[in-house]
Amino acid sequence: MACDGAWQIIQSATLLEVEDQSLVTLAVASQDTTAFGELIRRHQSQVRNFLRKLAADPVEADDLSQETFLHAWDKLQTYSGRGSFIGWLLKVAYTTFLQSKRKSKRYSEVLNEVGYVAEQQSRSYTQDADEVSDLDKLLAVLTEDERAIMVMSYACGLSHREIGDATGLPVGTVKSIIFRGKDKIRTNFDIKDHKHG
Amino acid sequence: MTSKIINMVEKLKDAEDRLLESMFAAEPIADDGFSQRIVTHIRRRIWVRRLALPVAMLVGGLVAFKPAMQLVTVSSTLLGVVPREFLEIPASVLPQVESVTFGMPLMPMIVLSAMVLVAGILGTRLLNE
Repeated sequence: MACDGAWQIIQSATLLEVEDQSLVTLAVASQDTTAFGELIRRHQSQVRNFLRKLAADPVEADDLSQETFLHAWDKLQTYSGRGSFIGWLLKVAYTTFLQSKRKSKRYSEVLNEVGYVAEQQSRSYTQDADEVSDLDKLLAVLTEDERAIMVMSYACGLSHREIGDATGLPVGTVKSIIFRGKDKIRTNFDIKDHKHG
Repeated sequence: MTSKIINMVEKLKDAEDRLLESMFAAEPIADDGFSQRIVTHIRRRIWVRRLALPVAMLVGGLVAFKPAMQLVTVSSTLLGVVPREFLEIPASVLPQVESVTFGMPLMPMIVLSAMVLVAGILGTRLLNE
């Protein structure tokens, strides 16, 4: 038993030095949850931050993050190693987000059909005016697609090609969406005078 | 080489891009057991998947036991109705055997055992996959 514990500590210490690609191979080949755990530890912050910027509230975003990692575990063998692992992970996160939106839309349609007035779920209604940061205001002028792509580009640091892979859009379209997003922000805000989001 | 490319990309970014990057930048979120929760969830799911097939086979076997035994009894009764010579394999077909006669409950038992064996092999293969 003590030997198992010691082995786990040695294994964890070794895993810290292993690259993402090797951890993925290890997790797929031998269903190694420790290797996958290390991948989660490395990337959870970025995935949660990404989803917090897209979803209505942090609790929902964290639920979506958990779902994202569970989907990632199920589909891990589909990661080809082309492009960064975080790019692939954000693709899974974005798909999970869109699926959950579609589900909640269908749910509210059913509620409307039976005459139930659903609560407004938009972030602008759930937060106090004081709580709304500059970034929230900035994101509010963007459409959902623009928001996701701008966040992937400026918050997660993905290249245009990686964003294209994640969203399934051609690189040219990604560039024009970013250009349009920047234009909207420029039109609506003086971005030189801002607080950090 | 890679660092040179990164530097070039950095230079290509204008001031506005850098400003947007700083606006979109967020504080790192502490793990606080988040990854451990997911790993535990995944481990539990693996165990459930591993146990699902044997448990289903056991329950299915228990449920099917009574009807299967009834089937065996009915089959042996039906085989008793079939003339004995139809069940005897002629010596010309199997010269090394004098005459093979299947006992009444033997044939259905063999069929049933074969079915159980095949189901078991398929189940084990599925479990391994």
